[in-house]
Amino acid sequence: MTQLETIHLAADYLCKQLHGQCPEVGIVLGSGLGRLADHIQDAKVFPYKDIPGFSASTAIGHKGNLIVGKLGGKTVAALQGRFHYYEGYGMDKVVFPIRVLKLLGMRWLFVSNAAGGTHPDFKVGDIMIIRDHINLLPNPLIGPNLEEFGPRFPDMTRPYDPELIRRAEAIAEQEGIPLQKGVYLSCTGPCYETPAEYGYFRHIGADAVGMSTTSEVIVARHSDIPVFGVSVITDVAPTGDEEDYVTDGEAIVQAADACAEKMTRLFTRMIAGL
Amino acid sequence: MDPRIEIINGLTASLQERLQGFRPELGIVLGSGLGRLADSIENPITVPYRELPGFPVSTATGHKGNFIAGRLGGKNVIAMQGRIHYYEGYGMDKVVLPIRVMIGAGIRTLIVSNAAGGINYNLHIGDLMLIRDHINLLPNPLIGPNFDSYGPRFPDMTRPYDPALMKLALQLAQEEGIALQQGVYVGGTGPSYETPAEYKFFRTIGGDAVGMSTIPEVIVARHAGIPVLGISVITNEAHDDYAEDYQNDGEDVVVAADAAAGKMTRLITRLIEHM
Repeated sequence: MTQLETIHLAADYLCKQLHGQCPEVGIVLGSGLGRLADHIQDAKVFPYKDIPGFSASTAIGHKGNLIVGKLGGKTVAALQGRFHYYEGYGMDKVVFPIRVLKLLGMRWLFVSNAAGGTHPDFKVGDIMIIRDHINLLPNPLIGPNLEEFGPRFPDMTRPYDPELIRRAEAIAEQEGIPLQKGVYLSCTGPCYETPAEYGYFRHIGADAVGMSTTSEVIVARHSDIPVFGVSVITDVAPTGDEEDYVTDGEAIVQAADACAEKMTRLFTRMIAGL
Repeated sequence: MDPRIEIINGLTASLQERLQGFRPELGIVLGSGLGRLADSIENPITVPYRELPGFPVSTATGHKGNFIAGRLGGKNVIAMQGRIHYYEGYGMDKVVLPIRVMIGAGIRTLIVSNAAGGINYNLHIGDLMLIRDHINLLPNPLIGPNFDSYGPRFPDMTRPYDPALMKLALQLAQEEGIALQQGVYVGGTGPSYETPAEYKFFRTIGGDAVGMSTIPEVIVARHAGIPVLGISVITNEAHDDYAEDYQNDGEDVVVAADAAAGKMTRLITRLIEHM
């Protein structure tokens, strides 16, 4: 079966299970941010293993469910657990869920992740609006173009929708949620960055570094779907002076969990206003 | 069991059989032209890679393909005379396989060496550079399901090179009158040498020397919590303007590395004595 046929198979399966109540909004819940899913009403939960063509997610803090239901008055589909390149999946598998949501009729994509801050002013627990990205992962569009999804050479001038960013800033101000704004850089991982690599990434314009997200965004933008993205800063680059500094997966999950409430409020209000 | 771990365990058992009860505590990876350090190993047991069934074989210029186990600086060591490079077409699993086999055989410290191009203008042919950090532009060897028995899913890389070993190396170099530079090693795939524009890129992002190896081995060792010390021999220099007839040449690299082999051997031997 071709990749395209597999995508259609998964979409057909979900469409049938949802009796045509297909999601307009896709949400990718990154490390530790899965609790947003608890706010989805009338939720139908599809474990990835039950959906044809889906793989299983193995990352710390990631479950593996697609949750469809109501949030902010809209029908949303939340991916609780994403597929990471570092897990050994090919890029076709990493972006598979986004392609399926596109076929189901997704009109907006919201992405979130946990990221290491390279901007010197960032602190653990900061929420950063992603205004642009630098993709150091393999490009998910390599291969014959899927014409049904978009053009061979998609524009990336505005990977993150300027209007959605403006609305997020307005809502955050009303809600008293402090926001940073910056450039997200993705690399493969799975080891954390060395101090020299942090320096390199900062030098080329990155404000935060992670191991995901840009692949999903590229595929959504291929299909001209507006994207809004947020990074939770879960650790900050060491300056090189700290003798006891380590980057630790468990601490990152805890830092992300601590932001869950603010993130939930922001996302819910944004979705309600679409 | 994970079939990848079965392969490692199988090769570890074959190596241990050939070592006849000898237990290495320290692993050394000998880079381009530095294979002669192996001549200083006493009571050597030589195990050619090709005699270990399924082991990748090194095809690089200046690289042999042997494990040499024996005594050096009063310690039980095992040296890799010839490493496996990504540019040879081996997958990352094969590139780091020898390191995992040495870990299986019991090493608790790893010393890596390589030949590198100087991109910092202060580095000259024949210089030794202590690797204090790296920038990895090769594929990460830990991509794929994690080997939980070796280490965590997301290993910390705050200190890829052990601060205490670096301090010791600098102190011993000074005692021996060996000039030891320090810098950041950038690992790219090769096998083409860098263009002048690429040299500039690497310098801009914080690199001092550039090569085509080492980092995958270091990542895998650090994943398993093994302290690492790394030294580059500078075998070619970056210039702002190259002479019209300038060429990067693999043979020159081997010649330059050979010329530095004496001080490298002395430094590493002293280091091992003091560890």
